[in-house]
Parts: sequence; structure tokens; C-alpha cells
Amino acid sequence: MQMYPEQIAKALINESFHSRRLVVGMFVIVNVALLAAGLLWPKSYTGSTSIVVDEKSIMEPLMKGAAVATETADRNRNVREVILGRTIIGQVLERAGWLADHPTALEQEGLIEQLKARTTVTPVGRDVIKIEYRDSDQERTFFVTKTFADLFIQEMIAQKESETRSAFDFIDKQAQEYQQKLTAAEEELRQLRSSNLDARPGSDLELSARLIALNTRIENTTMELREAEMKHASLERQVNGEAEVTVLATREGQFRARIAELQAKLDTLRLSFLDSHPDIVQLKNQIQDLRAEASSQRERREKAKPSERVEPDETVVNNPVYQQLRRELSQSQLTIGALKARIAEAQRLLREEVGRGKDLHSGDARLVEVTRDYQINREIYQDLLHRRERARVSINMDSDRQGSSFKILEPAKAVPSPNAPRFWQFVVGGVVLGVLIPVGLLFARLQFDPRVRLANAISEGHKVPVAAIVPHLWGPRELAGLRKELAILALVVTAMLALSATLSIARVLGVL
Amino acid sequence: MSKIEKALKKAGEERGNLQLMPAAAAGGRSAPRTALLGQQIENPETISRMAGNEHKLLSADELWERGIIHPQRAEEPAVQVFRELRTKIIQQNDGQNAVILVAAVSKGNGASFIARNLGAAFAFDSAKTALLVDCNFRNPSVHRLLPDPSLPGLADYFENPEIDVTKIIHPVGIARFRAIPTGGLREIPAEYIVSVKMRRLMDSLRERYRDRFIILDSPPMSDIADARILSELSDYVLVVARHGCATNAQIETGLSAISNKKLLGIVFNDEPRIPWIR
Repeated sequence: MQMYPEQIAKALINESFHSRRLVVGMFVIVNVALLAAGLLWPKSYTGSTSIVVDEKSIMEPLMKGAAVATETADRNRNVREVILGRTIIGQVLERAGWLADHPTALEQEGLIEQLKARTTVTPVGRDVIKIEYRDSDQERTFFVTKTFADLFIQEMIAQKESETRSAFDFIDKQAQEYQQKLTAAEEELRQLRSSNLDARPGSDLELSARLIALNTRIENTTMELREAEMKHASLERQVNGEAEVTVLATREGQFRARIAELQAKLDTLRLSFLDSHPDIVQLKNQIQDLRAEASSQRERREKAKPSERVEPDETVVNNPVYQQLRRELSQSQLTIGALKARIAEAQRLLREEVGRGKDLHSGDARLVEVTRDYQINREIYQDLLHRRERARVSINMDSDRQGSSFKILEPAKAVPSPNAPRFWQFVVGGVVLGVLIPVGLLFARLQFDPRVRLANAISEGHKVPVAAIVPHLWGPRELAGLRKELAILALVVTAMLALSATLSIARVLGVL
Repeated sequence: MSKIEKALKKAGEERGNLQLMPAAAAGGRSAPRTALLGQQIENPETISRMAGNEHKLLSADELWERGIIHPQRAEEPAVQVFRELRTKIIQQNDGQNAVILVAAVSKGNGASFIARNLGAAFAFDSAKTALLVDCNFRNPSVHRLLPDPSLPGLADYFENPEIDVTKIIHPVGIARFRAIPTGGLREIPAEYIVSVKMRRLMDSLRERYRDRFIILDSPPMSDIADARILSELSDYVLVVARHGCATNAQIETGLSAISNKKLLGIVFNDEPRIPWIR
């Protein structure tokens, strides 16, 4: 059903008037209920305190650059866990007097849970945490809040001290470990140095220079040897050739000269004589003999040729050139021998050097390794020594409470809880709800009651015109009764409001 | 109600009255007041009889006490509402008299209240008379208006053929307003209502006085078929539904029992209103 707001308002006013006793009754009931709730509602106080926490792990600055400390878990959670941890809560229970009547373990557990539920730890900004505690007793609220803050600071300082101490111990242990390592490395280095003296820096350069020199020498000597050998071979060939020439020059030549001489003589004779002349015949025989001799000579030479060896005869031996050659030959033989010996010697030296070079390299690598270890160990050790000294100073600082970074920013105070409902809220709520609830119910009745309460509803619902809307006709007696009734209802409402006001004032004055 | 609305209503009422005046209607010119009065008393016999027979009239306060409106209490919203309703009916019927059935959708909706006040509203007009007939035999109420509750009524009329109609019509202490009670607190069967005698009674009542508006106080529509039968005897039907009493289902049932032609509309009764706030 479509209704305009003013129609709704009018209908609600008329309905309220119609059901005035119901409305006033509900107003009274709602008010009484809320007043009772306000009176019985437990009082709530909130204690709060703020603490500055500059909680950097002592390990962090001490171990800066040398080791990475494990990331501190979520700081706020840490703080929360410390505050709501067994240690602190247990002490708070004890100090606040909850344990005075010796509760059982189960009851204690319940108390702890309650305490936890009523305590909130909230981070305010980066380094400030706020501890809040709610309770019904103002004094206890203040005390518990203060105790929380005190215990927390104590706990954190103790924790920090132990942390510093353990950091120092750790660094100290590490320093000792590295000292041992360093000593061991030094020892190894010394041994290595003494075991191969060659192993000096730069000795490999020297070695390679020597190797190059040896190689050069071997090459040169080999060249000389080849030269000497070639000379020797050619001398040998010359010696053989000289013997031949000499032989030819001596025997065959003589025969040929003789033959030629005889031929000449024969020719001359032939000019004057016939071939039968005895002289000529003689001559011819002589020539023939000579030729035979010469050919035998030649044959002999031909036979001797394949052996390349010419039997020197004394003529040859006595030849000065031949003698000269033979001398030079033996000379070159000697030279070759000497050169070969030199090459062998150089090669031996070379092998020796190469072997030494191998030794030198393996030793060198080890040396480099050991030296490196040594250097690293020494660096870390020195660093650790520095850090250990700093940690020692930190411990001193902690023991003198110099570096303490926990401060109470805002001392504990207990005020009525801002969020807890106040009494005046109950009073105002009672008045407002006391009006709204019955009016709402009337509205609901208008909407859902099958009995007709609005003329519009009839005309719309049944498509029938409303001939007349007859208002209630108030008779004189009825009117008088209504006046009386309204006066009583007004009185009731006034009394209710007066009661609320009285209670509010009493509450403000602290009577209730 | 705004001034304009009031003016319009007044004009409407006067027009309704004027329609009853042939001289004014024919002349088209406003007749002098005396002439108007002369025209109104068209049935001198009726009026004189009524005036002569009028018993002691009840004062406005006395009527108020009995829950009946009076023109002197014009500031009362109910008076205005009934006036308007009356005017509406007169307009509807072109100024002719009519039989109007006032029936509640169920018991306790205040049909009798509406019926008697509607009658009173008709009687406001000096040119009209009203007759209230109590047909609600199970729960009669009209007799309470009479000086003597045991005066003869409808039941006597049906049971006693000798009795004259005039014997059962009684004055109620309001000028130009008469009533027929049920007559004796006994149940009379529906046959009487559907009888020819009843129809004849209605016709004679209607025919005898042309300016008489007959209002039937019907039994509730939900209970018995009487209301349906009575609606057939009447010209118009007003269905009464009371605030916070009648349900939509009852209204639906009630409406289904009567023809749309006769239905004038629903009277929404007893709307709550703070009395001192107009």
C-alpha cells in the first residue's frame, strides 16, 4: 500500500492515541528495563600506559657486517607475547592479590585467560607500545596496569642483558675458534715453505728462462752436429776420390803415355818402312803388350770400383793431399763426438728442469691455498677481536643501565572505560527506545494486522469507494474518562522520567 | 477541512436542497427565503403531523450522551461526516427518498451507530424526515432510543395482521426522525423478511411520505443471509467496517453478497482521532 510520509505519521499518531495505554505501558517497561540494565551493568575502568621500546637486537649492531642475525620475528607480537606470557601474568596475578585465596590450577588458568582477555597490547607508532587493561575496580585497574608496565620493562632489561651476555659469549667462542684455525694455518704454511725451498715467489719465471736457454743450446748444438756430420761425409767422399785419381794418374797413364810414344815411333817408322820391318813389328808387339797391360790395369780398377774402397797404395798414401784430407776427416770425427755428448748433456738438464718445474707448480698451488686460508682466518680473527671488545663494553653498559632503551612514556592511569556504556546512555536509550519500540510495533501492526486500520487500505484492497470515514464520537462521559486517563498516563510518564533523572543524578554524584 | 472544501460542500448541500425545489429549479432564479420555505413544506400533512406528534425533543447534550449527532455540535467531525454522507446519498438519488441498508461486515462494527446517526443527519434538514427500521432481530438496538423499549415493532406487525403501520412507527425525541423497533426480543424467522408483507411494508413506507428516507439497520453480513435479502429490498447499501475490528476477508465476503449497483461504499467506522485536535 502506497502511503505518503505524512499519512504514515498521522496514522501512527492516531494509532498511538488509540493504543495509549499500551504505548505508555511499553514506555514504562522499556525504561525500567534499561534503567535496571544501566544500574546492574558492571562498571568498567580502563587503565593504560605507554612504553617506549627501542628494541634493536644487540646482536645486530655487534655482528654488523660479519654475520647476518636471524630476522627478529614480528616485534609487536614479540612484545605481546612477553607481556601476556606466563612469567609476567603469573606475577601480576600474585601481586594483584588474586592468588590470595589459593585457587586451584584450573581456576588459575581461568584467571589468566580472563586477564589476557581484558588486556590489550597495541603498538602506537614505531617504537611505542600501549598496554590497556579493563577492570571493574578502579584501584586494581591502575595497579595491574602499572605492574604490567614495570614487569615488562624488568623483563625486557633482563632479556637484553642475557642477550648481550650470550652475544659476548658467542663472539668469544668464535674468536677462540678462529685463533685455533689461524695457528693451524700458520703451522701448515711454515711446513710447506720449509719442504720446498724453491717454492719462492718468482721461481717459476727463473725456471722457464732456464728451460728456454737449455732448449736453445740443444738446438744450436744439434745444428753444429749436423754441420760437422755433413763436413765429415764430404771429407770422406774426397778422401776416396783422391785415391782413385792418383791411381789413374800413375799406372794407366804411364801405360797410355808409353803406348802413345810407341805409336808415334811406329808412325814414323811406317813412313820409312814396311810393316814387316822388324822394328815396326817389334813396336807393334810392344804396343800390344802395353795395351794388354793397360786393359788389365783397367779391369783391375773396374773390379775395385764397386767396393768404393780403393786400396791405396803407397803412391796414394804418400800423396800429401790425401794425407791432408785424412787428417781433417779424423778431426771432424772428433768434433761430431763432442757435439753429441753436449746434446745429451743438455737434454738431461732439460728433463731435470721440467721435472723440477712440475714439483714447483704443485707446491705453489698448495702454498697459495694455505696462504689464502691463513689470510682470511687472520682477518676474521682480528674482526672478532674488535667485536668482542665492543660486546664487552655493551655488557658493561647494560650492567650500568646506560644503554637502556625502555622508558615509560605515559605512566599508568585508570579512567572509566570510554567504550563501556554510560548510565546516561541507558537513560537516554530508555526514553528513545520507550518511544520507538511501541511506535514501531504499532507500525508493524498497521502493516501486518489483517484487521483494517486504514481507510486507504479498504479502498485500495477492495476497489470499493469509501463512502465516509467516521471518527470516533466521544460522548461527554467518555471524554471525562479520557481526560482522567490521559492525566494518569501523563503522570506515569512524568514519574518514569523523574525516576530516570533522579537515578542519573544519583549516579553522577556517586551515590549509586 | 479547508475553507474551500467547506464552501464546496455547503454549495453541494444547497444544490441538493434546491433540486428538491421545482420552483427554484424551473425559475433558475433564487427564490426568496419565504418562498423557499413554502416550497419545502410540500407535504403539509406530513410535516404538521410530525410536528404535532413530536414528543419532548431531546437536547443536543442528551443526544450527545446517547451517541447521536446534533446540528448544534457542528464542530464535531462526526457531524460533518454524516452530513456529507447524507448529501452524497441525496445527490445519488436525485433528491428522491430512498431505502438505505446499513450493514456491518461482522458483529461489533457499529452498523446501528451509523444507521441512527445517518437518520439523524437526514433529519437535520427540515424538509426531510428519516425512519430507522431495526431489522437486526438478533441484536436489536433501536428500542433503546424509544421512551418505552417494549413498544410494538416489526415482529408485532408480521405476527398481528390487524396492526396498522402507524402503530409501529415511534418518535425518538429527534425532530423529523422516527423509528420502527424489532418489537419484542424474540427471534423472527427470515421468512418474514422475504415475505410479500415485508416488501409491501417497505413500498408503503416509501410511498406514503416522499421526503422520508428509510434506513434499515441490518444484521451483520457475516452471520446470516438476512442482509442479502434486505439488500434486495433497499435502494442503496452502506457496508460498515470498524477500525481494528473488520478484517479484509470479512469485507470481501460482505461485498460479494451485494450487487455493485446498490453499493454506495464502505463506511469506515470509529477511526481513532484525538478529540481536541480538529
